[in-house]
Amino acid sequence: MTSEQNDLRQSARQVLQDLGVAPDEDAVDARVVELGWLLVGAPEDLGGLGLGLECACAVYTELGRGLAGAPYVAAMIALDAICAGAAADQAGWVERVAAGEHVAAPLAASALSRSASGSRLNGVVSAVPSADRASHVLAFSGDTVALVPLSLAGVTLSARQAWDRTRRLFDVRFEEVALDSQLVLATGADAAALSRRIVAHREFALACDAVGGATALLEVTVDYLQTRKQFGRPLAMFQALKHRCADLKVQTAAAEALLFDSLHRAAASAGDNVLLAKTAKFLACSTFAKVAEEAIQLHGGIAMTSEHVCHLFVKRALLNQHLGAQGDAYETHIAASILSDR
Amino acid sequence: MSDNGDPEALRAEVRAWLQANVPKGWRAAMTNAPQEAFVEAQRSWFSKLAAAGYATPHWPPGWPGGGRSLAEQKVIFEEVATADAPRLILYFVALYHAACTLLECGNDAQRGRYLPGILKGDIWCQGFSEPNAGSDLASVRTRAELRGDRYVINGQKIWSTMAQYADHCLLLARSGKSDPPQGGLTYMILDMRAKGVTVRPISQITGDDEFAEVFFDDVEVPVENRVGEDGNGWAVAQTTLASERGLTLVELSHRMRNALHRLGAIMRERGRLDDNALRRDVGAVTAKVNALCALADQYLLRRIAGEEGPGDASVVKLYYARVLREFTALGMRISGIEGQYDSGFMRGATQETGNWTIDFFNSYNWSIAGGSDEIQRNIIAERLLGMPREPRDWKLASDRG
Repeated sequence: MTSEQNDLRQSARQVLQDLGVAPDEDAVDARVVELGWLLVGAPEDLGGLGLGLECACAVYTELGRGLAGAPYVAAMIALDAICAGAAADQAGWVERVAAGEHVAAPLAASALSRSASGSRLNGVVSAVPSADRASHVLAFSGDTVALVPLSLAGVTLSARQAWDRTRRLFDVRFEEVALDSQLVLATGADAAALSRRIVAHREFALACDAVGGATALLEVTVDYLQTRKQFGRPLAMFQALKHRCADLKVQTAAAEALLFDSLHRAAASAGDNVLLAKTAKFLACSTFAKVAEEAIQLHGGIAMTSEHVCHLFVKRALLNQHLGAQGDAYETHIAASILSDR
Repeated sequence: MSDNGDPEALRAEVRAWLQANVPKGWRAAMTNAPQEAFVEAQRSWFSKLAAAGYATPHWPPGWPGGGRSLAEQKVIFEEVATADAPRLILYFVALYHAACTLLECGNDAQRGRYLPGILKGDIWCQGFSEPNAGSDLASVRTRAELRGDRYVINGQKIWSTMAQYADHCLLLARSGKSDPPQGGLTYMILDMRAKGVTVRPISQITGDDEFAEVFFDDVEVPVENRVGEDGNGWAVAQTTLASERGLTLVELSHRMRNALHRLGAIMRERGRLDDNALRRDVGAVTAKVNALCALADQYLLRRIAGEEGPGDASVVKLYYARVLREFTALGMRISGIEGQYDSGFMRGATQETGNWTIDFFNSYNWSIAGGSDEIQRNIIAERLLGMPREPRDWKLASDRG
């Protein structure tokens, strides 16, 4: 880890610690703008800090650890697409987003189509965090990547109350929404490449969120076992429970190691990083889900209440598995790299 | 030989050397080969590696092949794995356990006497485990009685790899009182040709007899063969056990990644390449094998940087053992009933012979030996997670009044 990544991680951890677990979205946003975190990934010639994806991921991991909301991640994905694409006034976008104008991006796959004339969009952009405070949403399908103003005619927002209460998700529906050529980031082959960049970024961001969450939840669980006594001794002394915690620690360490390694490889590669990102996301999110599943059982009854934080982690872990690319596609996609003919 | 310390320059050199020197077709030659042929093949491969300086990169400067940084050693191990060279199973104890222990805890006379022999191909075995001292190594019972200028050894060791071919044994024996149990142990070098040594190979679950029992009946060991002080054997044994883990697991993890394509080969062979359920399992295992390589690499990098934390080595070993089990079990499942027919034994390939049932059996070597998974879990829970030890005193519920 470079010193920049480490500094950013430490700073983010301190901020999130001060704000407390599952902090208020406005409070986080104020700190994010104040500390310039939105500039982390944007290139220097557009007014950003040019620190790259690995530094952005250090922040994502800490936000996951603290169960913060997702507008930051979404804005970072959108801003990266703006900077990598062919939008007009890229530097202006960097400046406005850094100052707090929210641009949103979907955390799940979209179902979009273009009208016959090619100038209008139809369909749904799914799982857009905090879309109600955004000016634009990033929409991408195979052949178009564009920003769409949420105030346009034909755009409707519907809030989707997820079990995960730490993130506010919306579906954004397009009906014959006109594309503004100034806001089109890429078309054709460029759009396919940019879409893959967006997908890789999103997968990495979700992997970070899961690694942060899994690490924090395991800490919460071990702390609880140290405190709670039954049969005259702390639960943490029972080998049956210690061994399960050790297994979770090992799995979390492995998911984190893969994430670091994949991010490092991605940073060094000019090519397509979707497979690296998906592999990291798959292992991180399945590990977080495993830690979550075990955490409830290891806590016992207290984890079934809403007063204890355990359920917040569990619900976030479950949602994370279903964000990004969907379902069984992960394992089969990873397998394809091994099973292709040699 | 590149001595400028640039690991990447070394990589090209090692790769070229391996391409020219790895015995062609060794997998086929070692399938159903008698053990003597295997021993001969190991000797020949060892002498090539040693002559090229690649067998002893971890030895200090001044020794042939020695003085390589950890980063350079990592490169050599990665390249050996990538080239799918045979593993030096017969020489592992000599090159790592014996050499590192003598370098760290031995005296000049011992180093001068034994290290040149190791370079020439002396074979060593380890005499630590006993029938009643497995995970609980401190309860060793083999006696070492000091009589004048020699120790007289009586007792039994077990699970000594390739002891039937060994010239020397690293022996941990009890010379003093047992309180605490670690306190009375002494570490010494025993000549396997000495009078009173009996080796009995153990017929294993795989049909091979790679391990042996060793019996000692009034075997005499000169006192100058003691390593460290009388009663200090436990500390010396820890040096032995810590001598290789980081590098070995880097090598073995990379070997597993290089063997992933064998899953595809067996699916193709069985006509199951389109079986989506299997494809999903292959995808899941692939992610874990990649994570394992990353974990082993990053652990070694932390060691290089002097930042190894307590319990870190246990995390890598436990994950390796779990992933290896999953990998071999999947291969066995893909093989179907064909995998249940004995198609012969490939020597020197350890866990990746492609005979999945044998590989599955061998995967237990990693979850039982060298500190079982359960011991690793205790270490991780106690040293990394800060959870308390279990109380030492115990009583069966049925004994309570």
